[in-house]
Amino acid sequence: MENILELQQVQKTYPKSDFTLNSLSFALPYGAILGFVGENGAGKTTTIGCILNTVRKDGGTIKLFGKQMQDTDTDIREKIGVVYDGDNFPGYYTPRQLDKVMAGLYTQWDHALFQKYLEDFHLPMKQKIKYFSRGMTMKLAIAAALSHHPQLLILDEATSGLDPVMRDEMLDVFLTFVQEENHSILLSSHITSDLEKVADYIAFIHHGRLIMTVSKDELIYQYAVMRCRENQFLSLDPADIIAFRKRDYQIDVLVTDGKAAKRKYKDVVIDHVSLDEIMLLLVKGEQR
Amino acid sequence: MKGLLRNNFYATLSNAKTFSVILLFLGIFVVAMDNTIATLIIDYMLLVMIGFSFNSIASVRKESATKWHKYKLTAPVRRTDIVKSLFVSELLWLAVGITFAAVSTALSISLHGNPFDRNMDIFMLFVIGVGISLFMGAIFFPLFFLGGEERNEVSLILSLLGAVGCIMGLKTLINAFFPAGMTDLQLFLSGVMILACGILAFAVSCPLTACIFHKREY
Repeated sequence: MENILELQQVQKTYPKSDFTLNSLSFALPYGAILGFVGENGAGKTTTIGCILNTVRKDGGTIKLFGKQMQDTDTDIREKIGVVYDGDNFPGYYTPRQLDKVMAGLYTQWDHALFQKYLEDFHLPMKQKIKYFSRGMTMKLAIAAALSHHPQLLILDEATSGLDPVMRDEMLDVFLTFVQEENHSILLSSHITSDLEKVADYIAFIHHGRLIMTVSKDELIYQYAVMRCRENQFLSLDPADIIAFRKRDYQIDVLVTDGKAAKRKYKDVVIDHVSLDEIMLLLVKGEQR
Repeated sequence: MKGLLRNNFYATLSNAKTFSVILLFLGIFVVAMDNTIATLIIDYMLLVMIGFSFNSIASVRKESATKWHKYKLTAPVRRTDIVKSLFVSELLWLAVGITFAAVSTALSISLHGNPFDRNMDIFMLFVIGVGISLFMGAIFFPLFFLGGEERNEVSLILSLLGAVGCIMGLKTLINAFFPAGMTDLQLFLSGVMILACGILAFAVSCPLTACIFHKREY
């Protein structure tokens, strides 16, 4: 399968902090949504910065549409829509002014489409953005990101801070966008329920290290958590354990194949696992 | 580039509106006053030319309150173009300042006569206003991207003081070359020299700023 975005062994170190992006590799195929999950400070925004060249990587390669993007490759950036968490645009702008600025930046800018999104999202054209609520600014950012007909959407915590109704509305917009087979989305978030709804693949990042990239279906239907007592845990084959976390009276163990584990360990309770729980086990648990 | 210039224009617009209204009333006052003593018109000319340019460069900071400065880098524009647009914007606002100064001076002279000893003095006033504005931009932009948004105020003050210092230094040099009682031609040549130095500094500062901006991370 061809990839719209490919990262190989990407590294980034900030000299004044102990944070390091450690040989990050993952790929986003055409027509897919990749959920990029990790706790705050895990390295999601740094990774996106490296992809978009707002941050200089120390090593590795990043390919967008099969090509490494330089500052001069404006044709590649024409095909990318970006939404950052928070205020994407200056507060002194009105959407009308934003429309004019964007029309001067993107050759493919579609004024009519932008107007349509503003109407659909109930956003006023003449009000200054500084008077918008957080939900309205995020909707505006999403409208702007979609109005130049991008092929790749890069969303950095674009749904955080939105209420569930608004989040659901935005997720529908993303699903519609990805209906076209040459469209893809990289959706960075720590709201795992959003990713459960829309993502095709999930990449987990923790302390600058990619700990898992897997298809969501595999994660939901094959991965499982075993609820073990101490003596049961000690008898487990270490090769079966991805991560485990000790709780009051039990030990939760994450395994890649719930059905196989059920056959192998008949007396252990095995549950389906949510992305939230996987994230907690991977982040707060221990790994073998 | 068109989008970037529009963006810079909107950033400056609200301050420029207020500034323009104040200067318009001040201009009417200056034109209405008897100009036997030229101080008022001299001060006004310098104020409008330097003021509009200062307003333009001071607005650069406004973007840093949001993620727009980072967002712009993801748009199909080169970093060099972002820097160029800032320099072009300052020139456009300087042109507005020159227009204000030219109109008010012309009106004042037509209503009350020429208060200057020589016509060349008017040319020299424009040279000083434009020169300070060019040097100010040339110093400010690299400082802004080098020091970051948090040192914006220091960069602004340093650039204004530095620009005045450059003009004073150049005038001292010129006075050393041409003895007192300069002819019109000598005055004109010294004006051209100051302008040439300002333009050169501005032109050199643009790629230097672009080079600094290329190394910045957001």
